[in-house]
Amino acid sequence: MRATESNIIKRLIKVTGVLLVVLVLALLIGLSIGSSGSSLTALWNGLSRSESSDSVLMTILWKIRLPRVLLAALVGGALSLGGLVFQALLRNPLAEPYILGISGGSAIGAIVGILLGFSQFPGITLTSFGASLATLILILGISAGQSILRKNALLLSGVMVNAFCSAVIMFLVSMTQDTRLHNIIFWLMGDLSLGNLQHTIILALFLIPCFVVIFMYANTMNLMLMGKDMAQSMGVNIRRANLVLLLVTSLMVSACVSQCGLIGFVGLVIPHLFRLFLGPDHRLLLPACILGGGAYMVLCDLLARAIPQQGELPAGVITALIGAPLFIYLLKRSNP
Amino acid sequence: MTVTPVWAQQHQVIDLLGRSMSVPVNPRRVVALAPNITEIVYALGQAQRLVGATTYSDFPQAAAALPKVGSYVHLDLERIVALNPDLCIAIKDGNPIATVTRLESFRIPVYAVDPKNLKSVMDTIMRVGILLQAENKAKQLISNMQNRIQVVAERIAQADHRPKVFFQIGIAPIVSVGTNTFIHELIEMAGAHNLAAGNIAYPRYSKEQVLGMLPDIIIVTSMAREAAFERIRNDWYQWQDLPAVKHQRVYIQESNLFDRPSPRLVDALETLARLIHPELFEDSL
Repeated sequence: MRATESNIIKRLIKVTGVLLVVLVLALLIGLSIGSSGSSLTALWNGLSRSESSDSVLMTILWKIRLPRVLLAALVGGALSLGGLVFQALLRNPLAEPYILGISGGSAIGAIVGILLGFSQFPGITLTSFGASLATLILILGISAGQSILRKNALLLSGVMVNAFCSAVIMFLVSMTQDTRLHNIIFWLMGDLSLGNLQHTIILALFLIPCFVVIFMYANTMNLMLMGKDMAQSMGVNIRRANLVLLLVTSLMVSACVSQCGLIGFVGLVIPHLFRLFLGPDHRLLLPACILGGGAYMVLCDLLARAIPQQGELPAGVITALIGAPLFIYLLKRSNP
Repeated sequence: MTVTPVWAQQHQVIDLLGRSMSVPVNPRRVVALAPNITEIVYALGQAQRLVGATTYSDFPQAAAALPKVGSYVHLDLERIVALNPDLCIAIKDGNPIATVTRLESFRIPVYAVDPKNLKSVMDTIMRVGILLQAENKAKQLISNMQNRIQVVAERIAQADHRPKVFFQIGIAPIVSVGTNTFIHELIEMAGAHNLAAGNIAYPRYSKEQVLGMLPDIIIVTSMAREAAFERIRNDWYQWQDLPAVKHQRVYIQESNLFDRPSPRLVDALETLARLIHPELFEDSL
């Protein structure tokens, strides 16, 4: 037992070290490329502040690109972690906040919050959280009739709830001619373009405690993967673990959605990738998903900015272009 | 003691939303955050001050060559900042408030205007004229607009009827213009009755509703090209009992004259008046 403990710690250090480097590299690439041009030397000058005379470059680097890449990293990490937790709790490798319709529910809540004139924090985040919880209960309720873990029942309810949420969103958008909803179409596909430092910091203060709580349940998630009875016999309070993890994850997802809109499939791609390389141990998977998911999101957002000649794509377009085909592949493989 | 060069002098101004700010006395790097602002700056003869405009700023043609900073509803913050502007001119309806706030946090002054009908377009021309040291040109532009409006008004006063106009700005779904829009104002000034008058700014209609209102004239604005124009016209021409079809009065107009409150609203007014009351303009066509 001792040997495996220290073995885990060694692997943990190695994995987090490598991924931290990857994340930092992604952040640097994200910082160096933008719609006004891209140059690593400019970034270097900015970093070393050797040519502090160029205040335009400084503003672009520190006040426009930096908040944006940090926001992308945070949201990417949170959404990957969200996917990982859902997959463990529901014991379904295809569960993910977006696919299950939880993100769609949060979006409805956020739009209602916007229409009611609430501020971003805490107003819109709370309406968004309320709606995401309602959606979660709805999905679990629908699929609970048949044994709770029947994979297809769960996914199908998610798809239907998602379709319903899109319809409600379009209904709300059509019924109002509110100028505050002008940008809604962009936001619905995931938009990181307006990330400012203040919002990013508030989001970080909000998400980091969620990360910590989930970390505390790493071992519990490992045991739960072995089955309910097994976990209970090992002293896990399944009800409480489920409740805490679902609540915290929904809170995390709603905070991201109310800030950046609907970004899908990140919570599918990243946990799958790491399970492939690292195996099923959540003590490794949790930090890996946060760091790797952050780097992935930064790079997806970078593609969203870099691909179009004019303007930019919503970041959610890129994540869906990558994630949806992977989902289909995984679904096909799991149902031969 | 250091002397501030003339071009770097600042002064306090109040924009059309009543917000006070410090701007250069002689702004030399201006970014226009909407197509109609670009048109106003060009009309004032101050294009040399412009360093950037939004994606669909296509009038006058020279504006198309300006560096672009995204569309007016989805501005690209980084491109704006990269142009190092000493002044941005924004519109109240359309430019996202979040982007404006962030520009201001970078100490880039954003002067907001709210052109939404003929009167406020003239106000905007005057205020932007003062802002860009072109007050005389602004006065001249405005008096020219007023004269042309006066000419139209005198002719329209002789009209003996007000035809019912359905003004279509969206093809699918069919969208028209309510009372609180500049197109409504133009329709009424051009001597017609706007069938979509009402509280909703941009009401949607089903084909059935439009047919039921028996429009005398249908005017469709579209960015589409010739082939699409034909299709839209033929679509309405299926309904032979419609007064507008019986008298062949379905007109299609380029949308960029009608989709932005710019100095060209007067051109739009003259165009509309001639379409609606050709009998009053026979001598001047």
